[in-house]
Amino acid sequence: MTRYVLRRLGRGLLTIFVSVTLVFFIVRAMPSDPVSLMISPQMSKAAQEQLMHTYGLDQPLLTQYVLYMKELLIGNMGISFAKRIPVTELIASRLPYTLVLLAVVMLIVCAIGIPLGVYAATHKGKLADRIISVLVTVGISIFIPFMAFLLLYIFAFRLKVLPTGGAYTPPMKEGMAFVADVARHIVLPALALAITNFANAVLYTRNSMIDVMHEDYIRTARAKGADEKRVVHKHALNNALIPTVTVIGMQIGIMVGGATVTETVFSWPGIGRLIYDSVNALDYPTLQGTFLVMAVAVVIMSFIVDLVVARLDPRIKLGD
Amino acid sequence: MANVVEFKNYSMGFRDDDGAVSNLLDGISFSIEEGKALGVVGESGCGKSMTSLSLMRLLPDAAVVQGGEILFEGKDVLKLSDKEMQTIRGDRLSMIFQEPMTALNPVITIGSQIGECLVLHHPELSKEEVRSRVIDALDSVGISNPERRLDQYPHEFSGGMRQRVMIAMAIINHPALLIADEPTTALDVTIQAQILDIMKRLKGESGSLLMITHNLGIVAEVCEEVVVMYAGRAIERGTLAAIFDNPMHPYTRGLMASIPTMHSDKGPLPTIPGTVPTVYDFKPGCRFADRCPHCKDICTREAPQYRWVGDDHIVACWLYEGEGDGNA
Ligand SMILES: Nc1ncnc2c1ncn2[C@@H]1O[C@H](COP(=O)(O)OP(=O)(O)OP(=O)(O)O)[C@@H](O)[C@H]1O
Ligand SMILES: [Mg+2]
Repeated sequence: MTRYVLRRLGRGLLTIFVSVTLVFFIVRAMPSDPVSLMISPQMSKAAQEQLMHTYGLDQPLLTQYVLYMKELLIGNMGISFAKRIPVTELIASRLPYTLVLLAVVMLIVCAIGIPLGVYAATHKGKLADRIISVLVTVGISIFIPFMAFLLLYIFAFRLKVLPTGGAYTPPMKEGMAFVADVARHIVLPALALAITNFANAVLYTRNSMIDVMHEDYIRTARAKGADEKRVVHKHALNNALIPTVTVIGMQIGIMVGGATVTETVFSWPGIGRLIYDSVNALDYPTLQGTFLVMAVAVVIMSFIVDLVVARLDPRIKLGD
Repeated sequence: MANVVEFKNYSMGFRDDDGAVSNLLDGISFSIEEGKALGVVGESGCGKSMTSLSLMRLLPDAAVVQGGEILFEGKDVLKLSDKEMQTIRGDRLSMIFQEPMTALNPVITIGSQIGECLVLHHPELSKEEVRSRVIDALDSVGISNPERRLDQYPHEFSGGMRQRVMIAMAIINHPALLIADEPTTALDVTIQAQILDIMKRLKGESGSLLMITHNLGIVAEVCEEVVVMYAGRAIERGTLAAIFDNPMHPYTRGLMASIPTMHSDKGPLPTIPGTVPTVYDFKPGCRFADRCPHCKDICTREAPQYRWVGDDHIVACWLYEGEGDGNA
């Protein structure tokens, strides 16, 4: 087990290193110049150079890279070009919002999606299953921004039951009032973001459940006198969940930064929104920071997925 | 003696995608007395497994029952509710499946898979009692070190071991009837012999046995009565002696002739030419007609009736028309 964790850690670090390096150079290959955005023409030549120097932009590319990596090792992600505060601080202020959003998405996906998939599988071919299958196909193929705007239009503009954006209505409230406020704000972005994953979870659970229900060991369970409920819950579900968990888990990891569109449409102050803002501002350090967080999230999620799958499936040995 | 199980003119078939039903099992009748073992033999695909799954009421989705009765301990299982069926399965009636490699759940420990039979039918047993009875059951099928093996998963067991686990599972509640569907096919010869010993022992202990196999040696060793199946029909049935010493149906004769003995010469073994027809190309008349060396005109037109040809011997073949007292 220790060996497994070490090996896993090494591989994770390598993944993160490669991704950080790639992002560093890709960001700098963007066809515009952050300096021109930061520097106003009124600035004196000396002030301009001072600014360039502060951000290290006067150095050759490779030197910048080495410098960046060195600072990264001691936990310094640099100073945001746009906000002029440390990137770590900026990310720390945004990450909780993304995590809360993902937690809600995960809850919707697992607590509703998986049971719905099981329901569809056990009622295969019946009306309920057919309706679910059609909705799922729509859910998978729907264009997320369209969904986001549709939700906004219905719930925020027409019915006026939910806020249009942000994570809370300023001024920031205290205690439970704040939680309740955030809860109201999170509904729409969580729905928009959950839709594809939800549909995927239903589909995967349904299909793998249907496959599993044809396995010989299901017949064995019936032969022992188990009733349908026990067959489904004790014998089929664990087996059916193995592929579902893998797919959902990896998807969630990617969403740590991948929710850019949804977070932007709903002005949700998370990592995705930060990516959008940083691209607009050509804020290299922040961009790099957000992508680093994304890489770390993916690595962590794949580790968690492995642990969960190993728990579900005794044939998988973590040592190998 | 009372019959544990009795098939009465039972028929079933399969529904295809268009809803048309093709008949497989056609008017199957046989019975097993308490404490006796009946062997069902026949080529691959003749419907042996479907016969036993019909009794367990575990047929695949596409299967449809077309008629007849299957009495188990006096009750027609075809008329029982799902609930009633569940109380019988795994308790009075249990089955060892043909595929030991896939018949165990890969994510549940052996101990709790075997223990489940007890938990389901004897909820009054304590955890410790269940555990100790599972250990006894594993021990009785020759699995060494059962205390440790209990907490292992199927993938940690070899094919032969898994088959023993299946047997332990099937006999733990001492069923009135145990169905063994090719219990030894997947195993090598030494393990086969051990498993057969277990089955023979168990016949004495726990009641009747329905042994499905295409291995006539196994039948001769374990069973008192034999049903020979061909393409969904029970073409001949009788006591072990009747079938082995005096096979009547040309198919049974072919089957007997294809067993190698100490005295057979070294030339090629006689075989029955042709192959078993499948559900979709059964013709009217005797289903063996195409391959039968004695095929007459009537054989291809009309299915033969069952007739008694001895005290304990029934055959369905036009060759014996006029003999015996007909219509068994
Ligand atoms: N779901 C199904 N749909 C249609 N036909 C089926 C289905 N399942 C089985 N059959 C047919 O039923 C026939 C009998 O199958 P069965 O499994 O009872 O044979 P068997 O005598 O047990 O053979 P084996 O010795 O190979 O186990 C086969 O010809 C098979 O093609
Ligand atoms: Mg079979």
